[in-house]
Amino acid sequence: MYNSSRHIKHSLFTVHSNEPPPASTKQRKMLEQLLIFTRGGLILWTCKEIGNALKGSPIDTLIRSCLLEERSGEVSFNYGAYTLKWTFHNDLGLVFVAVYQKILQLLYVDDLLSVVKQSFSEIYDPKRMSYDDDFDETFRQLRMEAEARAEEMKKTKQVVKPLSSGVKKQGQVSKEETKKSSGVGGGSKKDGEGKVSSLTNGNHHDDVANGKENTAENNSNNNVVGLDVSKLAKLRSKGVRGRGGVRKADSIGSNKGSSKVEPPKKATKKNRVWDDAAASKQEEKLDFTDSVDENGGNDDHVDVVAADQGESMMDKEEVFSSDSESEDDDDDEPRSDEKPEAKKKGWFSSVFQSITGKANLERTDLEPALKALKERLMTKNVAEEIAEKLCESVEASLEGKKLASFTRISSTVQEAMEEALIRILTPRRSIDIMRDVHAAKEQRRPYVVVFVGVNGVGKSTNLAKVAYWLQQHKVSVMMAACDTFRSGAVEQLRTHARRLQVPIFEKGYEKDPAVVAKEAIQEATRNGSDVVLVDTAGRMQDNEPLMRALSKLINLNKPDLVLFVGEALVGNDAVDQLSKFNQKLSDLSTSGNTRLIDGILLTKFDTIDDKVGAALSMVYISGAPVMFVGCGQSYTDLKKLNVKAIVKTLLK
Amino acid sequence: MENLEDLKIMAEQWSYQGIEYLQKIPPTQLYAAVGVLLFTTILLLLSIRLVRRTKSNTVLLSGLSGSGKTVLFYQLRDGSSHQGTVTSMEPNEGTFVLHSKNAKKGKIKPVHLVDVPGHSRLRPKLEEFLPQAAAIVFVVDALEFLPNCRAASEYLYDILTNANVVKKKVPVLLCCNKTDKLTAHTKEFIRKQMEKEIEKLRASRSAVSTADIANDFTIGIEGEVFSFSHCCNKVTVAEASGLNGETVQVQDFIREYIKP
Repeated sequence: MYNSSRHIKHSLFTVHSNEPPPASTKQRKMLEQLLIFTRGGLILWTCKEIGNALKGSPIDTLIRSCLLEERSGEVSFNYGAYTLKWTFHNDLGLVFVAVYQKILQLLYVDDLLSVVKQSFSEIYDPKRMSYDDDFDETFRQLRMEAEARAEEMKKTKQVVKPLSSGVKKQGQVSKEETKKSSGVGGGSKKDGEGKVSSLTNGNHHDDVANGKENTAENNSNNNVVGLDVSKLAKLRSKGVRGRGGVRKADSIGSNKGSSKVEPPKKATKKNRVWDDAAASKQEEKLDFTDSVDENGGNDDHVDVVAADQGESMMDKEEVFSSDSESEDDDDDEPRSDEKPEAKKKGWFSSVFQSITGKANLERTDLEPALKALKERLMTKNVAEEIAEKLCESVEASLEGKKLASFTRISSTVQEAMEEALIRILTPRRSIDIMRDVHAAKEQRRPYVVVFVGVNGVGKSTNLAKVAYWLQQHKVSVMMAACDTFRSGAVEQLRTHARRLQVPIFEKGYEKDPAVVAKEAIQEATRNGSDVVLVDTAGRMQDNEPLMRALSKLINLNKPDLVLFVGEALVGNDAVDQLSKFNQKLSDLSTSGNTRLIDGILLTKFDTIDDKVGAALSMVYISGAPVMFVGCGQSYTDLKKLNVKAIVKTLLK
Repeated sequence: MENLEDLKIMAEQWSYQGIEYLQKIPPTQLYAAVGVLLFTTILLLLSIRLVRRTKSNTVLLSGLSGSGKTVLFYQLRDGSSHQGTVTSMEPNEGTFVLHSKNAKKGKIKPVHLVDVPGHSRLRPKLEEFLPQAAAIVFVVDALEFLPNCRAASEYLYDILTNANVVKKKVPVLLCCNKTDKLTAHTKEFIRKQMEKEIEKLRASRSAVSTADIANDFTIGIEGEVFSFSHCCNKVTVAEASGLNGETVQVQDFIREYIKP
């Protein structure tokens, strides 16, 4: 069989022809499958020798939850008992995927994929559909060679330098490793590590796999939990009530809360009474249950809002000017890559290449453009990791592609990035809340929405805005005050409820929020409300007991929509917040059906001018669509996310 | 200043000369010249309009992910789906004569067929192709119909209320795929379910104000339960089986609306 090694043009290493293939039958089973398919979806070739059918549909899942989610810069993807590795041939539009058992750590797969890519691209012809006769033989040779090389590697215990793409992939892995060690929660995927997602194929749940993989490394260190316990012990010793959480953060939250309460009551400032005389006497006791009933006197002073605040901005078409982007680009581009030594060569060769347009894009060509793009994204407040991953993904999809004539590299990269951003920000499922509400109405149960988030992001304010919008569309709303920790939270919600003329279910302070929510839903079923909006207390993502309480609330009540409220001002912390929230929710879920964050509500959008990157970070890391955007403090300041406008702003 | 004066005088002189010249030409020649000019402009305009009217004979294959569009595409092109398909990441385009088992008579015009990925993240791609569509085949999985019914009806609703589709009255074929399987639903059942779902969508989306969720138009008649016959463009239902190659109804639809 080794006589045919003469025909193989690409065997870069000499194989000792005297040596028989070692234990070939056993090794053959290690690789489960190798597929070659077009980007349009047609399978061109599969390995016939390995006849096993794959369990589940790993390839489809790979495409849906990794490649289409702009995570193609990752090293590998885990699905069930398999690990998948892939490579692209961007010029011909082909994808090469290798599937193998996760427990085996095969070293030669990257190598094999790149050799297969090279040899297949030689015989590829767009008109031809079947490559079996040609390629089967070639593949067998290549695989044996690759296995032999791996054996040699193991024997000599040297790291053989694989082909160029392999180097880069390993370089990325080590880059990510160093990042991880420096404490930033990187998303490095390693083979064979991390929790197995044994869930079924639902597309919704594939994010769990990704989210879990991303944060598996963080979890294994267990730093986070350790910190909390020690923090808690410290706080307990200081005599704070055993609810944990950083006191400072709560007081900040309550300040913000009280400032939010200010505007609605400005007209009647004189008459505002903070819960009568009882509060001033009982400073230690935080339970205001008794005084709740006595607030009847405040009714007259609160303005009742009729439907006359006008149309909520959710219903208005967003008009954005379509200015010409190309002119701006031309100004920015030459200034952005100003490396003195590479400048002369870079400019001249890029101009030359842009005219002839024949060059295949290499990583070295793409790097300056991508770096500039990454910087630009980061100035727009996209989290650093996310920008990095996005750039890697775009790089993976452009490498090897032929430049069209009369286009510069930077404009090609820009276009690819724009497409990728639109793809990420386009929701994966329909965000038609009205339809969901109607569906729940038919089933004669209320539609439950839970607002979660860290402290001070604007949950209660935006809850009121959502209630206003729903009311305008003739949906009956009920509010549930499950923030039983922060002083003034129940009153705040009560004020909103009175202004909107919406029933509110409250049980005062120091009650278990999960139980309060449950009773609220029962009450809503009884009096026929269509929607129940549940307000929860703000909590930091690191706070274990609070996250457990949140998880309990969600598990007990099974809401229809878990809405994460995040502010647009947040920077790199967005990644941490969302991934930890998701992780805690999935870890602490009791029943089989894990509920994760279903949607994002972006707040304080009016405070950022064009630094809109937080939206991108949040959507990328969690996979949940942005359902609402809060852009002000009055009831009408709620709108939808305009994907094209955001992408334009990000790339400007 | 003097230059302006001079120019004015010269212009006047030229105009006088021009008028004199014109008056010298025999009238018949003049009329003939004008006539020819008019004729050629009219001819030019007509030809431009004709070229525009012979719009692209593009047929779009759309539908949810996993409904069998790529298989159908390759069946129509080559008569077989080769080694199988995976989720498409990019559209498949081709201009070809439809492959059919019985040899066709005479010349058949090649059809430009586009298979648009159904994954929801790639939805913007459909909007790129809609302006050039002459006919749309909406593929529905008849086997796994009920779990996907809502998503499919939302997609179809978005297509039917798209401005391009409404204005140009693009015909739509609701193709029920995978009918070779035993447990596949019938096309009548699918049609009724889709109509019901679209009716519910209509109710929930018309309860909002005019500029909501990017639906350009509403469909159906007020006060009546929605039915496909209410659409201004023609909506028909057909059955097909991508794996077995039974695409006769789809081919007939395409041939009917792409006139040679």
